[in-house]
Amino acid sequence: MDEKKYAALEESISPKPPILRNMITAFITGGTICLIGQAVSLFYMTFFDFTERTSSNPTVATMVFFAMLLTGFGQYKKISQFGGAGASVPITGFSNAVVSAAIEHKSEGYVVGVGGNMFKLAGSVILFGVVSAFAVALIKTILVKLGVVSW
Amino acid sequence: MLILLLILLLSACTGAETTIQIHNDTEADARKIEEVILANPKLLQAVAVFHNQDLISGLNLKTFSRFNKEKIEKDIRSALEDKYPELDVTVSADLKIFRETTKLLEEDDKEKLTKQLEKLKKLLREET
Repeated sequence: MDEKKYAALEESISPKPPILRNMITAFITGGTICLIGQAVSLFYMTFFDFTERTSSNPTVATMVFFAMLLTGFGQYKKISQFGGAGASVPITGFSNAVVSAAIEHKSEGYVVGVGGNMFKLAGSVILFGVVSAFAVALIKTILVKLGVVSW
Repeated sequence: MLILLLILLLSACTGAETTIQIHNDTEADARKIEEVILANPKLLQAVAVFHNQDLISGLNLKTFSRFNKEKIEKDIRSALEDKYPELDVTVSADLKIFRETTKLLEEDDKEKLTKQLEKLKKLLREET
């Protein structure tokens, strides 16, 4: 059997993913995580001397901390199973990826096991994030030089 | 019950008028800032404190106008700098600054007011 026939056969017998249901659950999950993030941000603005601009730093750290706890207690995987991309796209998904890998490789030792494998999943997030930021900054620099936009 | 909930939800959609609260312990004319603020339809609330040579104004923008927050701040700042060239004008649409400036409205102690204003200006300069 050649590749194309196999691919067609595989597509015909694979169950169709419930796309609409997945979109709705991703929306609800991602929205809830962002709502919690906004509440944390408001907490820092109300009880500490943070402005809207500066409160993003402790907010991100707090959300990463919450996701770390949920991953450690085995609850984040249930949220991901339900929410899909809604749980993996926010910063909590990044935290879950790093913490999960660290937990998985703990038996191999702290340096080689945990340290060497922690960014197994998150490494590509960082890499492509930095590359896209560079590309966007380059495009903006060119547009500013051409006078189309200003800083 | 459903109608009550619907009315409650839709009540936020009515066009709210811009309001401004001012604390002025200088001789500056507060009517000029009222003209600037009330003429801008993108603002929900504003609060202004005049003290010594400072004018600090906190703005609360309408929801969809928050996308143009920086532009609105810049426009209001330049309008106020024209109206009050002798004062050091600080304008911010930041929620923290708006809330802290609102707290200053009832502050009677002038020394405390000076310290709080300096603290607010310092907060605004923070980048991280």
